[in-house]
Amino acid sequence: MTQSTRDQTTGWVMVLPTLTVVAIFSLYPAMDSFLLSLHRIYLSLPGLGQSFIGLRNYTDLFQDSVVHEAFIVTLGFVILSTTFELLLGTGIALVIHEHFRGRGWVRAAVLIPWAIPTVVASQMWRFLLNDQYGVVNLILFGDRVGEYVPWLADPWTAFCAIVVADVWKTSSFAGLLILAGLQVIPDELYEAARIDGARAWQRFRHVTLPLLKPALLTALLFRTIDAFRVFDLVFVMTQGGPGDATQVIQFYGYKTLFTEGRMGYGATISVTVFVALLILSACYVRTMGSNLLKRDPT
Amino acid sequence: MPLFSSNRIAFVRLPVLSVLLLTVGFFIHEPAVGESRQAEIVPTLLHFVTWKADHPDAWEEAITRFEQAYPHVRIQREIAPHSSTAYHDVLTQKLKNRDQSLDLFFMDVIWPAEFAAAGWALPLDEYFPSSERRKFLRATIEAGTYQGRVYGVPSRVDGGMLYYRKDLLERHGFSPPRTWDDLVRQANAIVEGERIRQPALRGYSGQFKQYEGLVCNVLEFIGSSNGSLLTKDGVRSLLAKPETIRAMQFVRERIIQKLATPAVLTYQEPESLAVFVQGKAVFHRNWPYAWGLANDPRYSKVAGRVGVTTLPHFPNGHSVSSLGGWLYGISAYSRHPKEAWTFIKFMTGTEMQTHFARYASLAPSRVALYSEPEVLRANPHYKKWLPIFQTARPRPRTPVYPIVSHVLQRYFSRVLAFSDVDIVKEAKAADRQINRFLALVGEHKGRGSFERRTTVPTP
Repeated sequence: MTQSTRDQTTGWVMVLPTLTVVAIFSLYPAMDSFLLSLHRIYLSLPGLGQSFIGLRNYTDLFQDSVVHEAFIVTLGFVILSTTFELLLGTGIALVIHEHFRGRGWVRAAVLIPWAIPTVVASQMWRFLLNDQYGVVNLILFGDRVGEYVPWLADPWTAFCAIVVADVWKTSSFAGLLILAGLQVIPDELYEAARIDGARAWQRFRHVTLPLLKPALLTALLFRTIDAFRVFDLVFVMTQGGPGDATQVIQFYGYKTLFTEGRMGYGATISVTVFVALLILSACYVRTMGSNLLKRDPT
Repeated sequence: MPLFSSNRIAFVRLPVLSVLLLTVGFFIHEPAVGESRQAEIVPTLLHFVTWKADHPDAWEEAITRFEQAYPHVRIQREIAPHSSTAYHDVLTQKLKNRDQSLDLFFMDVIWPAEFAAAGWALPLDEYFPSSERRKFLRATIEAGTYQGRVYGVPSRVDGGMLYYRKDLLERHGFSPPRTWDDLVRQANAIVEGERIRQPALRGYSGQFKQYEGLVCNVLEFIGSSNGSLLTKDGVRSLLAKPETIRAMQFVRERIIQKLATPAVLTYQEPESLAVFVQGKAVFHRNWPYAWGLANDPRYSKVAGRVGVTTLPHFPNGHSVSSLGGWLYGISAYSRHPKEAWTFIKFMTGTEMQTHFARYASLAPSRVALYSEPEVLRANPHYKKWLPIFQTARPRPRTPVYPIVSHVLQRYFSRVLAFSDVDIVKEAKAADRQINRFLALVGEHKGRGSFERRTTVPTP
């Protein structure tokens, strides 16, 4: 046995546990879901058997108007929430990057929303937006109780409410990722810019922003994927209502799988979401991958 | 290569260790095998998956009394979530996996068809003969029956009823409304007349959020308009029928847009009741449980000023109350169906239902108890409730009910939340979707391969 083959064997042996874990907990369920999605299975109708129907679930899915709507709702949610989260996140990062007294406290305070479990935060937003005792109505209308708005009763405001709740909750996470990007920008660059007479906005526009791009893209990737999988907010705040106006794709998938017992079709929804996210991530990685590689010194 | 060699030792050690552990484990396990031989002395343990009860003390006592009466059976309770949908998901998860440790469960009145067709619930015909079934409220037995066999025993009865403000109706010279038009007329007159005194007063509050309760609420309007959701045989959806459309139109234009606040679109039972007990609604639709709360001065501003009556109907129809409530069922995979039946028989018997009526205000499913002095002493209003329960109607009985319900919820909620959607068009779309799934039920029955489990698996 030569040294290098020995090394290789050692290497394989050492990654084997990880590979096994990944295979059991990621690869196998994904494959199994895909297999399920090729079958027609109704748990409450065992008499139908579990017949193989090829891609029929997928053709059904593309014609299902409920799925179309859910996809549109999800996309709207993803675009709106990630946009606002990146904007606010950048603001947060810039603030907590500065040196000022009590910065530690501000940093901790900013992270609180992110540290609260989503279910708890959703429940809190539901209370805040309540039509009878909600604080939002109290702030907006004071004691003019007659003008209180039932935010979650109207399709459009209910949709906005879940976006707002998500932005509130995860902007600080985006901020944290962006802060990491800010911290690697050398101070010399700012000094040089200052000597050249660049003003604050110019320094931000021509020094900070270009160098922040990788961090922004990382934050974008994380937030998009997360927002695409949004479930708990909707589950707690609206249950998809009113009139399916807040029914995101994952919630619909949950209903078909767990409540309706349509295992095949539910798996089809999961696989479709999985593939959509895979494509999305691939696109992001292609655009930001080149950036990251260029910055790598070796 | 020090790392490699030390690893090699670990690789040798690992199997040796595991073999050792297994051997030791085998010997440790041995006495347990011996123990099970003395099973005659050890009582049978029944695993009962239930929800968190509203009156835990009453349940505690009931189970203690059962265990005293039948010392050879012990009840081990597992508390699942309170929400019906969440409880359903927990229960079906166990049943899908053929969990043999599960013996007893509750079924919401909408589940027996599903549980029966899936082979999860044991048919109870041999234990629960028709002579015994006749003693229960008809609708509750109907709910537990699927294709001529009975799968559930009603623990109590629940039905939608109309709560109203006795004081306000009297002040304005009205008697409780018989028809929906009466209700609208009275509500408008009262709200108008009270405008200065109570500006926040509304005409109606009910449950119109997109969830199962929405189906119950809307079914009452549709049913009292002579409409129904499915054909009698349950094979076709009837949402596009004119009487059903008329009811939908009424709910949208007269109830949601006029009498109620738009916030009812976010209300489940507690929120809608809160509005009523704060004195902000003239009429309120709810289940029997609200009676106690509405008359509890610690909780309600209108205690003692509340009346209950049958829900109104449309001119050509008659009142319909959505049937709710819980049925006891036995898992088809249970190894102790006989003992499980003993428990169900005890809990649904006259004595225990009297106990629950007295200490947990659960309306009995046995008709005779509505003239039982002991029950009526604690709940004098039950006498008036019996006619309401006799108008109770189960929701569609089909194994694909969860799917049907989702389509219905979407349809109802869209019509109520979007004032510009065309009701007829939406109804037809919902019809088509529901019919597609009902056709699958037909196909499922058509296949002979499906065999009901009548025999109990031996351990």
